[in-house]
Amino acid sequence: MKENIVLGVIGYDCHSVGNKILEHVFTEKGYHVHNLGVMVSQEEFIDAAIETGSSAIMVSSLYGHGEIDCAGLREKCVEKGLDDILLYVGGNLVVGKTPLAQVEEKFINMGYDRVFGPDADLDKVHEQLQQDLAARKSGS
Amino acid sequence: MNPGKMELNAFLKEREAVLKTWPTGEGVSLQEAVDYQSQIPKEKNFALAMERAHEEGRTLLQPRAGVALVDEHIKLLTWLENEGAADLLPTTIDAYTRQNRYEEAQNGINRSIHAHTSLLNGFPAVNHGLHACRQVVEAVKSPIQVRHGTPDARLLAEITLAGGFTSYEGGGISYNIPYAKKVPLETSMAHWRYVDRLVGWYEEQGIHINREPFGPLTGTLVPPFVALTVAVIEGIAALRQGVKSITLGYGQGGNLVQDVAAMYALRELAAEYFQRENLGDYSLTTVFHQWMGGFPEDEAKAFAVITWGATVGRFARADKIIVKTPHEAMGIPTKEANAAGLLASRQAINMLTDQILPVGPTFRKEIDLIKAEVSCIMDSIYELGLGDVEEGVVAAVASGILDVPFAPASCNHGKLLPMRDDQGFIRVYNWGKVPMSEEIKAFHLERLRQRAQSEGRSVSFQMVTDDIYAISKGKLVGRPR
Repeated sequence: MKENIVLGVIGYDCHSVGNKILEHVFTEKGYHVHNLGVMVSQEEFIDAAIETGSSAIMVSSLYGHGEIDCAGLREKCVEKGLDDILLYVGGNLVVGKTPLAQVEEKFINMGYDRVFGPDADLDKVHEQLQQDLAARKSGS
Repeated sequence: MNPGKMELNAFLKEREAVLKTWPTGEGVSLQEAVDYQSQIPKEKNFALAMERAHEEGRTLLQPRAGVALVDEHIKLLTWLENEGAADLLPTTIDAYTRQNRYEEAQNGINRSIHAHTSLLNGFPAVNHGLHACRQVVEAVKSPIQVRHGTPDARLLAEITLAGGFTSYEGGGISYNIPYAKKVPLETSMAHWRYVDRLVGWYEEQGIHINREPFGPLTGTLVPPFVALTVAVIEGIAALRQGVKSITLGYGQGGNLVQDVAAMYALRELAAEYFQRENLGDYSLTTVFHQWMGGFPEDEAKAFAVITWGATVGRFARADKIIVKTPHEAMGIPTKEANAAGLLASRQAINMLTDQILPVGPTFRKEIDLIKAEVSCIMDSIYELGLGDVEEGVVAAVASGILDVPFAPASCNHGKLLPMRDDQGFIRVYNWGKVPMSEEIKAFHLERLRQRAQSEGRSVSFQMVTDDIYAISKGKLVGRPR
């Protein structure tokens, strides 16, 4: 069975190019991609994940407000019963040039499972997603 | 039907409602604004600066910049004019304000004060209000423009123009299709008719204000004919409301011949269509945007992209170039990086000051192709609008006749698929519903087949993806790895 994943650009960000590429690539890789497009609120991500029974939410942010927009998504997921859902986030997540390791630490602390820069290799993202999904299933 | 110039009474009635949408709108008086604008020195007027540059054949440089707090924003702008030698200054507006989310913008201001750093990607001018705008305008020496991406920019225009800004970017199409998700096109066009009418009103009082439709659209493999069609229509819409100083723009595509040809075609098309619409008494200038797509992360490589953009913009005889920074791949730049982009661009255009690119038959062929492509779309738009472009463009976008690639707006068809040919020209692979002549379609297809052949693979979506990331990975054409 195909895994369901939710995809979207969070907040008031309308960067649509990468979003269209992600949809295309993950559909080709065999996922059932529910693409919410640009300007997606945390609530819309969660509602879509519940409705579609998705096992991962992939959040993009390119415009610099990621730090404000992404805060609290993990807590809201837990509130809605999505205790195990994978949260991936990628893009230009903070205002200004910041080393990825520093950004990663910040977003891992916010409850995200994986953090990517704007030029992430999508084959690697796919590999990690497969591993993470397998780990969730085996209950580890 | 041609909507014509908005009736003053209808404008003033709408204005009352606009000013009530956020508390900082309430004190804005048109008469007081004219008094304030009248005492701004001529050398700080944006429209006059553009016209002077055009007459003297100079190319002005302008960065993008904006942060959450007033003092920090002033520091940033004065740095860019003093250290970066910017000719023209911007005030880039944050993304919450662009969507009229003033409460979220306030939260961003508060959190930025607390964090001692800007957590917003621009200057929230509506929240700061008219007096803060005047503080900014008075603190700098150069003409200053509002740059944003706001589908409903009426209140922002009221506050910033009363606040002393003398140029305003945007348009009903170019600030909807690339910048919104669910705004109907007729709504954003009506809201921008208001903005243009406001500028037209200032012109009636003798206050010269520049208007600049946003040329690059999605900044991603946009074929020149798409960008130019939008530019011409937004130019017509602005002039109809009494705008006198109009700057039309185009974003660098990457191929020298195509980019120079597009800028020449833009000037010719604007003059031709404005004349067809009986629009006179305007000054037309142009802006060239350095590469708007993905940038290399390495700063040395980014400088190469920046200076190539400056070179092409100068060869294309742009009156103004919008400059990128070596931090582009990582998001919002520091003030130092922003100034560095300006200095690199300055060196390039200064070395070209006395050089003229001979625009011979190779260029002329491409100029004529672009003009023929625009004609195909414009003919359909006039037909759909029963002779009127503003009416026709709404139907044309809905039916995919005018189609912007990779755009977020649901009013956009999104079926047109562009890719590069073997020499890096942006051509069209899938036309969607765009009514192009068979001859032109055959030409594009032939060019794409040449590329497919030289790469030993068939024309496919993979080429589009490869093209989108090519420059950030060090090339123009996305060749197979």
